[in-house]
Amino acid sequence: MKTYVLRRILISIPLLIAISFITFSALQLAPGTILDTIRFNPQVSEETVEKLERQYKLDKHWLVQYLYWLKGIAKLDLGYSIRNERPVSQIILSRALNTLLLSVVSMFFIWLIAIPSGIYTAVHQYSFGDKVFSVVSYIGLSLPGFFFALLLLFFADMWGIFPKGQLFSGEYASIGFFGKFWHITKHLLVPVIVISTGSMAVLQRIMRGNMLEVLRTQYLVTARAKGLPEKRVIYGHALRNAVNPMITIFGYQLSGLLSGAALIEMICSYPGLGYTMLDAVRAQDTHLVMGAMLISGVLLVAGNLVADILLVIVDPRIRVH
Amino acid sequence: MEKKDPYQKGRAWKKFKKHKLALAASGVLVALYLCTVFAEFIAPYSVLGEDRISSYQPPNHIYFFDGGRIAPHIYNYTSGFDANFNRVFYEQRDKKYYLKFFNRGDKYKLFGFLESNMHLFGTEQGGRFFLMGADARGRDLFSRVLFGSRVSLSIGLVGSFITFFLGMLIGAIAGYYGGWVDGFIMRLCEILMMVPGFYLLLALRAALPAELPSFEIYMGIVIILSFISWAGLARVIRGMVLSEAKKEYVLGAQSIGVGSMVIIVRHILPNTLSYVIVSITVGIPGYILGESALSLLGLGIVDPDVSWGNMLSAAMQISHIQYHPWILIPGFFILITVMMFNLMGDGLRDAFDPRS
Amino acid sequence: MRRLVTFLGIFISLTLIYCTPKKGADLGQTPNPLANLGEYKAVVGTYGGSLRLTTTSPPKTFNNLMAKETSTTDITRWIFEGLTNQSGITTKVEPWLASTWDISSDGLTYTFHLRKNVKWFDGKPFTADDVVFTFNDLIFNEKIPSSSADTFTIDGKRIEVSKVDDLTVNFKLATKFAPFLQAMGTAIYPKHKLEKFVKEGTFASAWGVSTLPAEIIGTGPFVLSKYVTGQRVELKRNPNYWQKDDAGNVLPYLDGLEFTIVQNSDVELLKFKNDETDFYSVRGQDYPTLKPLEAEKNFTIYNAGPAFGSQFLVVNQNKGKDDKGSSYVPPHKLKWFTNVNFRKALAYAIDKQSIINIELNGLGYDQWGPESPSAGFFFSSDLVTYPYNLDKARDILKGEGFVDRNSDGFLEDKEGNPVEFVMITNADNTERKGILEIIRKDFEKLGIKAHISLLEFNSIVSKLFNTYDWDIVLIGLTGGIEPHFGSNIWKSEAHMHMWYPKQKEPATAWEKRINEIFSQGVQELDPDKRKKLYDEWQKIVSDNLPVIYTVLSASISAMNNKFGNVYPTPFGGTFHNIERIYVKKKS
Repeated sequence: MKTYVLRRILISIPLLIAISFITFSALQLAPGTILDTIRFNPQVSEETVEKLERQYKLDKHWLVQYLYWLKGIAKLDLGYSIRNERPVSQIILSRALNTLLLSVVSMFFIWLIAIPSGIYTAVHQYSFGDKVFSVVSYIGLSLPGFFFALLLLFFADMWGIFPKGQLFSGEYASIGFFGKFWHITKHLLVPVIVISTGSMAVLQRIMRGNMLEVLRTQYLVTARAKGLPEKRVIYGHALRNAVNPMITIFGYQLSGLLSGAALIEMICSYPGLGYTMLDAVRAQDTHLVMGAMLISGVLLVAGNLVADILLVIVDPRIRVH
Repeated sequence: MEKKDPYQKGRAWKKFKKHKLALAASGVLVALYLCTVFAEFIAPYSVLGEDRISSYQPPNHIYFFDGGRIAPHIYNYTSGFDANFNRVFYEQRDKKYYLKFFNRGDKYKLFGFLESNMHLFGTEQGGRFFLMGADARGRDLFSRVLFGSRVSLSIGLVGSFITFFLGMLIGAIAGYYGGWVDGFIMRLCEILMMVPGFYLLLALRAALPAELPSFEIYMGIVIILSFISWAGLARVIRGMVLSEAKKEYVLGAQSIGVGSMVIIVRHILPNTLSYVIVSITVGIPGYILGESALSLLGLGIVDPDVSWGNMLSAAMQISHIQYHPWILIPGFFILITVMMFNLMGDGLRDAFDPRS
Repeated sequence: MRRLVTFLGIFISLTLIYCTPKKGADLGQTPNPLANLGEYKAVVGTYGGSLRLTTTSPPKTFNNLMAKETSTTDITRWIFEGLTNQSGITTKVEPWLASTWDISSDGLTYTFHLRKNVKWFDGKPFTADDVVFTFNDLIFNEKIPSSSADTFTIDGKRIEVSKVDDLTVNFKLATKFAPFLQAMGTAIYPKHKLEKFVKEGTFASAWGVSTLPAEIIGTGPFVLSKYVTGQRVELKRNPNYWQKDDAGNVLPYLDGLEFTIVQNSDVELLKFKNDETDFYSVRGQDYPTLKPLEAEKNFTIYNAGPAFGSQFLVVNQNKGKDDKGSSYVPPHKLKWFTNVNFRKALAYAIDKQSIINIELNGLGYDQWGPESPSAGFFFSSDLVTYPYNLDKARDILKGEGFVDRNSDGFLEDKEGNPVEFVMITNADNTERKGILEIIRKDFEKLGIKAHISLLEFNSIVSKLFNTYDWDIVLIGLTGGIEPHFGSNIWKSEAHMHMWYPKQKEPATAWEKRINEIFSQGVQELDPDKRKKLYDEWQKIVSDNLPVIYTVLSASISAMNNKFGNVYPTPFGGTFHNIERIYVKKKS
């Protein structure tokens, strides 16, 4: 096991480097640099902009700039965000935590609702409840995320549950535990609902499918024939086998969420990794893009690794090779 | 070996017909695609029409009775701003415009060559009839939704075809040959999946020449989106092919000298088909949603060309929901289309499932 | 199934009922948006209370000199001050940290007498040393790139700044510089706090956002008290501020300012409606939401007239060639673009009223020249205008040989080239996108095939300044009052002369004349003579259309009624007199 994990981590390093190179070179396709915004000011001379270019090493060939960045990474220095005038590491950390918070809460919701409803709809297949649930969960899946977010924001305002202040703003320190809980909930409410609904639908269908499959297998017929109570059959045997394939999905879902839902974050004004990356790409704040991409990549690899490990633990038939 | 029906079409169709919801969904989709084809006929106006006086006009109030008999008609609206700069619309009661089915309206060329001026419904020249209201520049929303469906509905089909083709072929090759071919292709897939493609699109856009005509932008979007997606399909196909390739019937075929490609195409791939079909049906919506996301960022279809995505991106402001909610209707069309694809995909999955 | 039909039936009927238009509304006239504020008369106020504001972008640094965007200066403008100040009401220069100044008869030497007893936040006295340090060690420091250096380098020569005594500073200019006194509103920094950064060469990164608030030392009415990254900025009252009101009370009246950082204007609006903030900069589309709430939520909406930012089309007239000898602009297009009548025809095709109605919700003004009507003294109304008239545009084009020669519905020029080009603008600006779409449609009605292309802002700037491969661009600039500060746009050799930058020789007679105007205008110290020169410039621009202006938005703000001495102006905004704004006591 240990060697497997180690090997996976070691392989991901060249992978991440390759991706960083692709990302960096792709960014070069867009003409211009982040300093162009400053250029577009009649009170700034060209000499001033050139001085700034030299200061930030933007006058060098892009391969040279990439090597400087790589050198920095080796020293665990993520570079400097010109747009925010701060080291990238300072910015990325808080954004990554925000995205992590959003992802974990979303995952919690998704699984909280999808598993029980998957079981219910499998056991009561083709019932009215089954059909209603299909339709409702599919609406969530089918609305464009940013559109859904906008609608929710509109209704949240109308019904007065719009979050006041900022996530972790001044009042936060002074309210009690339940106050904090409700405060965070209000901020996360809209982005979580939007992100969860789609995945929930898919997961619920998969759970349902797996349960159906398992419910028909031979050994369950045997268990029933032995006279075991139905509930025991479902929860004792069927469920455990149905859940196995879900574990892999858990890992992939988590890593997928961690890569950020940029547009939804944009609409909800949620300061997460996705929106940071989108904004940085548009502004051509190269180091910030690279930093965000690197962190997302690391989270993705970590998520996949967690998924694979869980699978090995849970399913004794699978062996690492 | 099953020569006659390797893809199990007959059995699957029978089972599909039993799933009522999926059948209904397919019906809705067929209707939508028919609208796409006959848009010029069904839409009362062409997309080129623009009447700035009618900016943000709400749907016309249809009066069904005219002096005792059934004669649906509307009035034109004039508009202005009130003291609070609210838009206000006032019916011009001097002239009644009667609504007719099979109305003679603007000329068009169906399929590019069939000339006609017959529309499914409409009113006489000079009447401004907005079934679903008008957008910012006074253009009929209903007509634009119909014409917009052409881009939005076709983009999924074209993109999926490319993904399907690439994903299946490359995945199958990786799974069948194994070894270093497999390793190389799988690493390539992982890299593609991890590259933040969506964000890089923004960078790519600037690199393309600004004069690109809309059709080429459209194809560019499709190719880019499908390029990002085929890797996922390839990985799964590879996994399935890998386990199939070890089965006896394949070894048997190899031993009697059947060519590799023949084995792959005629024997192995049919076993992956249920997954592929479902994955495509569920994947088509991804293209539709992707197109609307790109339009939101200004990268997609540009005016005067119309797509649901670019109509939706113009509507993305809270003030619009409050004052002219009808311009959000394209969003619901996207919703319905995507939902129908998902429901149909559901039905197909159940139908192709060899175990039920 | 039946339930579905019933539901649909109810839904459709409800929709039809809902969609009946309002009857009997007041129609026909677009109400005159100009509000009459009367004359400004500041009253003696009372202490206490704070002002809650929002900003859509966090400050990037507290180092005002290195600030590259308004998100920073929106905060630092309350902390730092200059020797002079431009009044938000009269736009005239008034004494600030300098109480008087003498100007030599040749207009080249300015002697500033500094105000007595002004203290920095940490109690140290403000002296001539600080002024000299600001200029000689910061602004003119080769190692510190800033736009201030450019402002004070006239014709390539620096101003000589020297201390006469602790309260007197001498500025010796090499040539006369009419906007000098306005430019002296530039912030002065404390020598005792910043000289060590200059010595270590770290000034550019000094006073960043993670600096302890107590370290940021200025002379202004408010002091930085707290910054929560990306969330909130808090400023508190400077108890030792130098300004007093008429009754001798030390200003400011307010206890502090609080800025909440939000991501977009929709959130700002929601917060204002929820009474979480006291001020909101109103967009046209927000007006109908806010106006009816004035009485209920106790605020007032002020319309101060046309704003300063402009949006305009630029047509590429660049006659240059690249290294390989091919023209930047294809020759056939260049012929059209350099033809002033072609540009005039385009100008007649711009439907400004529709743009105002659709993009600004009716709250906007036509713009015909480079100065906004709110610029007051420097605005000239003697401009050539091009009221929307497609027939006139067609006639002009026909006169220039643009005719539909092959009956395809589109125009071709004399050589048979179809009139076709690409118009670009920012992808992220929905207003510009909308304006361009309206313009494109009108050009189509003329028979011109115009295509829209949306690009990121940096790409557009790169095209404008580096590669010159564009046809027409819709772009905007924030404006101001002083014409000279735009000289990098209007002088033909400058890099921001967008339609044909860095000309070796002026390409046209009118560009030559504009060069002369700007060279003379900057040195002309008599205000009336200056005005005559710049009036001529505005007329030339409107007549030759190097840029085609579109519309100006209205400068509208909403402010909570609990504050007194509120007097919004287009130039000063709402907070030009922040030190005199106070919370009225409830009677």
